[in-house]
Amino acid sequence: MIYIKILNFALIVNFIFSFNVNALEYKLYGLVQPEFSIFTNGDGKHHQSKNNYSFFTKGNFISYLDERDAKITISAIARYDEKDSERRYIDFQKLKYEQYFENYTFKIGNEIIFWGVNESFNIIDIINQSNLAEDMTGTKKLGQPLLSLAYDNNYGTIDLYLMPYFIERKFPSKNGRPRLALEVDQNSITYESSSKEQKLDFALRYSMVYDDYDIGIAHFHGNNRAPQLNINPSTLKFNPHYTTLSQTSLDIQATKGAWLYKLEALSAKDGNERHLGVAGGFEYTFYGIRDSQSDLGLVIEYSFDDRNSNPFNNDSVAALRWTKNDINSTSLLAGMFIDMRGNSNRFIAEYEQRINNNVKLFIDATFNGSIDSQDFTYAFDEDSVFSIKLARYF
Amino acid sequence: MNKFLLILFFVMFVNTNLSSEDNFEKGLRIAKESYESTRGYVDSESDQLMILVDPKGNEVIREISGKTLENDDPNDGDKSIIFFNKPKDVEGTVMLSHTHVNDDDDQWLYLPALGRVKRISSSNKSGSFMGSEIAFEDFSGNDYRKYEWEFIGEEEYDGEICYKLVSIPKYKNSGYTKRIGFTDKLLRPRMIEYFDRKGELLKTLYFEDYQLYNDKIWNADTFRVVNHQNKNKTIYKWINRELNVGINKKDFEKSSLLRLAD
Repeated sequence: MIYIKILNFALIVNFIFSFNVNALEYKLYGLVQPEFSIFTNGDGKHHQSKNNYSFFTKGNFISYLDERDAKITISAIARYDEKDSERRYIDFQKLKYEQYFENYTFKIGNEIIFWGVNESFNIIDIINQSNLAEDMTGTKKLGQPLLSLAYDNNYGTIDLYLMPYFIERKFPSKNGRPRLALEVDQNSITYESSSKEQKLDFALRYSMVYDDYDIGIAHFHGNNRAPQLNINPSTLKFNPHYTTLSQTSLDIQATKGAWLYKLEALSAKDGNERHLGVAGGFEYTFYGIRDSQSDLGLVIEYSFDDRNSNPFNNDSVAALRWTKNDINSTSLLAGMFIDMRGNSNRFIAEYEQRINNNVKLFIDATFNGSIDSQDFTYAFDEDSVFSIKLARYF
Repeated sequence: MNKFLLILFFVMFVNTNLSSEDNFEKGLRIAKESYESTRGYVDSESDQLMILVDPKGNEVIREISGKTLENDDPNDGDKSIIFFNKPKDVEGTVMLSHTHVNDDDDQWLYLPALGRVKRISSSNKSGSFMGSEIAFEDFSGNDYRKYEWEFIGEEEYDGEICYKLVSIPKYKNSGYTKRIGFTDKLLRPRMIEYFDRKGELLKTLYFEDYQLYNDKIWNADTFRVVNHQNKNKTIYKWINRELNVGINKKDFEKSSLLRLAD
């Protein structure tokens, strides 16, 4: 009897195995990453711990169907954080089904869509919500549920997006470091739109390549991804209010040898107010410096916004990126952010190198120089930090 | 009699004309014939394995797969897509290149961690490919249009009488001042020595494991590179190479990058 059970089990295992290998073409890969942070200003402004550990993981599953005319993608990230409950989460960055036709692509599900060309000031990038619990600069995103149809021909690509459900911005909790001056009350969210998070957002983008130029023109209408944060006098917390935003944008990159020139511009109606934003700059790379394999890149970008309330209304960044081009892909990015209005400045450094084929080391540092007390980043001016991350890829 | 003189004169003239092909013209002709013997592949698909060996003998493996599309336009370069698989931290990265003969290529990189397609500068054709001893410009090193050629004689190499050719890059950002190579009588490059910007011997590339594809095209399935300055070695192998597979031309456009990326 037991032999038959074992035989059955073996047959089932064999069946599953052969099904996976022969019938389903798939890839599975990802990483696990322990992280450790040390804050250099002691307990800081909000009397928090000097150290923090955290654990991050990412998994990707991709399967092709229908002789590669269809694709299923699952890409999930998860984090566990010692102190910050808002940094304990799972997010499906991608959970989508795509079908390809001769000139059309249809897509349904969670997706990450990036618009723009800049390194630092990604002012026109609007489809996905920012995860500020992950990173205060807003470059880390949350998956956005959408339906999309793309059409392309020799003149470029048109993408249409319908977003039936809104994802709220994620903020660090009061135990998070860095955090905002006050706690964000995620139970007191209000919207300008009466449909609230059910509002059907839409976006349209035309993009093309012409010679050395990569050009995109886009329009977005929907809930603004960035909420207004209004102080509730009774709870002394921030209550997020999401206005309705109509944004038209342009992005251009010119690639001229070792020079990259970048420009992003937008005109937007946010609630009842219209505003204008322009951000851009250049990148230049010195190749093979001092007869070595190393490259040194210089990035300078500037951001202007005609709203005084915008944190990036008159800001610039200058950074150097050193790539050793060695076997371990060693690189170092060092940069300085300057608020030209309030004379605030912040320094960052990001070092990385591969340890072996499956392990990579990251060391990040953020140092807050002088921060203007009027600047929103004043809330974390005592949160200068060193972080060490060790990624193990599978 | 006059007729005879005329014929004699004609024969002499033609003969002189033939033998008047100088060493530069002969070098160019051999290089051109060698290049043209590899054309007509239409498109290709392959897995590629790279073994990087340091002077102590430590080995590191790189794995990529790639597709290339022959350009119908004889004055322009081919198009290629590279999918990076190993090391694991670059898995999912895709690079699209539209190459040009004596100008910078157009290159886009899909970076999965950022979910973003970036147009990148390609004026570093002399830069190392994935930390190896092979530079980007070496992959199209058989394109005769990229060099000035000179035939400097015939010599035995690896048991065969080969043409010895000197080539000087026309591309202003090339990492080399000169190459000296052997091309065999089947017009296959067998070995090339590279001289750096200072004119010193930098590395030697050995073309090995020649296979005849589709009954007409010889491809070396192994590039072995020995760097004489830093003593590193790179072994680059093409595996499962197939020519004329019928890849959709649209795959080689920027708009298809996100679709082809994992």
